[in-house]
Amino acid sequence: MATLQSTAPPEADEAPRPPVVRRKRTVAQRFRHDWPLLLLALPVVAHLMIFHYWPSLWNIIAFMDYSPYRPFWENPFVGFAWFERLFNDPYFTPALLNTLKFAALNLLCMFPLSVVLALAMNSIISLKVRSTFQSVVYLPHFFSWVLVVTVFVQVLGADGLVSNWIMDGGGERLNFTSNPDTFLFLVWLQWAWKDAGWGMIIFLAALASINPSLYEAAASDGAGRWRRMWHITLPGIRPVIILLLILQIGGILSVGFEQYQLQRQAVGYQATEVLDTYVYYQSIVGNQGESFGTAAGLFKGVIGLILILVANKIAHRLGEQGIYQKS
Amino acid sequence: MTNPSDQAPFKRRSLFKAAGLGAAGAAGLPIIAACSDIKSNSGSTQDSKGFDFLPTHEDWPLPVQPDLVGEPPHHPSAFTSYPTPVQAITDLPSGKGTYEITIPCWGTPPAQDDPYFAKVAEAWGGTTVKIRQGDGMTYGDTAVQWVKANEYGDGIQLFNYMTGSFANFQETVVNSFYDLTEIVQGDIAERWPLLAALPSDSWGQAVWSKDPNDPETAGIYAIPMTYSGGQGNGILARTDLLEAEGLAMPTTVEELLEVSRAWTTNSRWAFVGLDWFIGQWFNLGGVDGWNWDPDQKKMINNIEKPEFTELMEFRRTLWDEGLIHPDAPTGTLDAAAMQEAGQVMFTQDNLVRWNDYNLKVKNGQAEGAVAPLPPLAAKGRTPIVPLSAGIGGWTFLNKDLSKEQVEEILDVANWCAAPYGTTEYQLLQYGVEGEHFELDASGNPTYIGAGPEVVQGPVNFKAFAQVDTFLTGDPDMVAARFEYNASIQQYVVEPPFQGVRIEAPAAAKAAGTTLWDQQSDIAYGRAELSSIPEMVETYFKNGGEEARKHYTDAYLALYGDE
Repeated sequence: MATLQSTAPPEADEAPRPPVVRRKRTVAQRFRHDWPLLLLALPVVAHLMIFHYWPSLWNIIAFMDYSPYRPFWENPFVGFAWFERLFNDPYFTPALLNTLKFAALNLLCMFPLSVVLALAMNSIISLKVRSTFQSVVYLPHFFSWVLVVTVFVQVLGADGLVSNWIMDGGGERLNFTSNPDTFLFLVWLQWAWKDAGWGMIIFLAALASINPSLYEAAASDGAGRWRRMWHITLPGIRPVIILLLILQIGGILSVGFEQYQLQRQAVGYQATEVLDTYVYYQSIVGNQGESFGTAAGLFKGVIGLILILVANKIAHRLGEQGIYQKS
Repeated sequence: MTNPSDQAPFKRRSLFKAAGLGAAGAAGLPIIAACSDIKSNSGSTQDSKGFDFLPTHEDWPLPVQPDLVGEPPHHPSAFTSYPTPVQAITDLPSGKGTYEITIPCWGTPPAQDDPYFAKVAEAWGGTTVKIRQGDGMTYGDTAVQWVKANEYGDGIQLFNYMTGSFANFQETVVNSFYDLTEIVQGDIAERWPLLAALPSDSWGQAVWSKDPNDPETAGIYAIPMTYSGGQGNGILARTDLLEAEGLAMPTTVEELLEVSRAWTTNSRWAFVGLDWFIGQWFNLGGVDGWNWDPDQKKMINNIEKPEFTELMEFRRTLWDEGLIHPDAPTGTLDAAAMQEAGQVMFTQDNLVRWNDYNLKVKNGQAEGAVAPLPPLAAKGRTPIVPLSAGIGGWTFLNKDLSKEQVEEILDVANWCAAPYGTTEYQLLQYGVEGEHFELDASGNPTYIGAGPEVVQGPVNFKAFAQVDTFLTGDPDMVAARFEYNASIQQYVVEPPFQGVRIEAPAAAKAAGTTLWDQQSDIAYGRAELSSIPEMVETYFKNGGEEARKHYTDAYLALYGDE
């Protein structure tokens, strides 16, 4: 018996299909399916556990009168006594303010410099010039701070190259590498020479991901070099800029150690003391002990965490992805 | 019916979070409530006399007598000729163990396969002692971590000044190192005659107490290094350049300033660095800067004295007038090399460099001559030379060693303690004849080949104690040093707490670090002299008063209030 077949679309009020219920897989099944991925992740997880999470647990000694020679459980709890000592120390606040000063300088003057360098590099067409420029700006990143500081002393020191030129010309001896008043500028110069080239690498990678046809289309519409940069390049790398900015803000209290420690004698502790050198000189050289250093480190960590959460939130408000998003 | 809002005051997840935090906080409260005060690192005091468990002292007759007899320990006797060495230890132990000892090394570490090490090991009975060398410049700081992590091998050598790097050295010693008391107490002369001949004072300085307040808990925790006295550091002047300029060796601080002004130009300077040594020129001595004031019946720090301001004025004058190298604050200059090149007149040095410079000149590696400045004083005062006799440091052994292993290492230490004029000393100090040294025309050992790099320069087993010490070496140098030592004896002052080891509270150490930085600020023109009172006040507020109490209590306990 023939059956009538309709070609009409199904009726709109057709009852919705019941949702497809996937059979929940057991842990064993999931493990059998994903074990290669888990194996790949294992070294990283182990690294995180051993070198990050396990040491983080030891932050508890910031609340103890800790001695490594006592069994751990015999170390008495002292509450926030170490933090109290930290915040009451007259040298802590200047060190914190110095740290913020250098961090602000880095954020305002170094971060944009790397972006500018990347844009400049991107605009160089000649491969030969580009690779030479690339080498010149990358190379100093691989110099140690000892070398960087020594080069600056040899060139800009009071008995350095420039100073002797000036004196040969009848001028006054240059006092730049041991002058606390110009230390901020000196630090910026050292950063710019050592790290600006390195900082541009990620931006270069981001620039490479911009579709070239956008530039072609803009050019055929009459957009000049600046307009292309403003309307295509910068929006193209904006997510990366925001991401790095948030990461930088999170580490705002970690401005480095060696650069300041190496120049401390030359410029004096008041200009060079940052939180990391403060912890070293008070906790290790000054013998205040492990608990004091841990309290200072924990303070830094907590501030960094708060800043990174705030910056991430702001990034979300501005429509950017930030470093992470709740699923 | 209202729809659930995103803005609901309590989300389930938030509620869980709040509950979790609350629970954690509640759990933490009793911990915080049960908190005690910070008590650690509050300093310690350890006397080195009056113990009944030290090794019984037994003299070990010297095989040769010195040519110049001084007044040890501050004015040691001297040999101007090299005696024929005799063997000190005839009954050699037979050692089979292999040990590793951590030792500081300044400069390039020597190759461990040099025949010197094999010969020395063979000579002391076969025990193998490998040297684990740590950079001398950072040794004190890194040693703290090695000791805490028990990563220093079977033993570690620490010099006196390095103990300041430890937050609580007393606690470190009694918890990390072998208690030798049971092994070395009483009569040890039969097995270790040379160790028994070490001064009792030096063994006493190797004593620590588990409880600093209870002498009954004291024990010997180290093999002491050589006991000696005399002036170790000084200011070396290029005497040939002074003479060439028609300048006389200064005898007062004021004369020094004049000579410095006359010498300095745009391309040469009087000094590269001048800080830690010159307190004595302004009558500032004491232990860690502390001196007993019998009138006030308390300890007074140097920074409270008017002479301290004079000292800072002097240092500031050097900077303001350009008498000190303009890059001196960077701490990157090689003062010794600059003095050799004639760019700098005076260096703040260990007096060993006087001898080294002399040898370089004799070997044609340098020109001119250096000599130490005599004791100086300002404003017509009588100079002082604060000297303190004692051991240079210790060799600590790992507490995980067995008694037999410790005894074997003591066999080695006993061999190394052989004094000048013995074959043991010759091998240890000069190496193998014909390979590391040879006797020169006057019959004195002179290093050759790898001798300077392998034997002369590095610290090694030489740092174990010697029974006695003398001035030895180049006869001209020996005579000059002997004469210099004799000339300063009249100015020698001994600091308080002779033979007592005092460890300041941690807060005072931290305040002291900042105080030193502040002094540098003033000396290099980064702060004004007028800031001294504020600097002093800050120091006392942040640990200085605690230190005063600690040192005062220690003084009163030891000497009463006289």
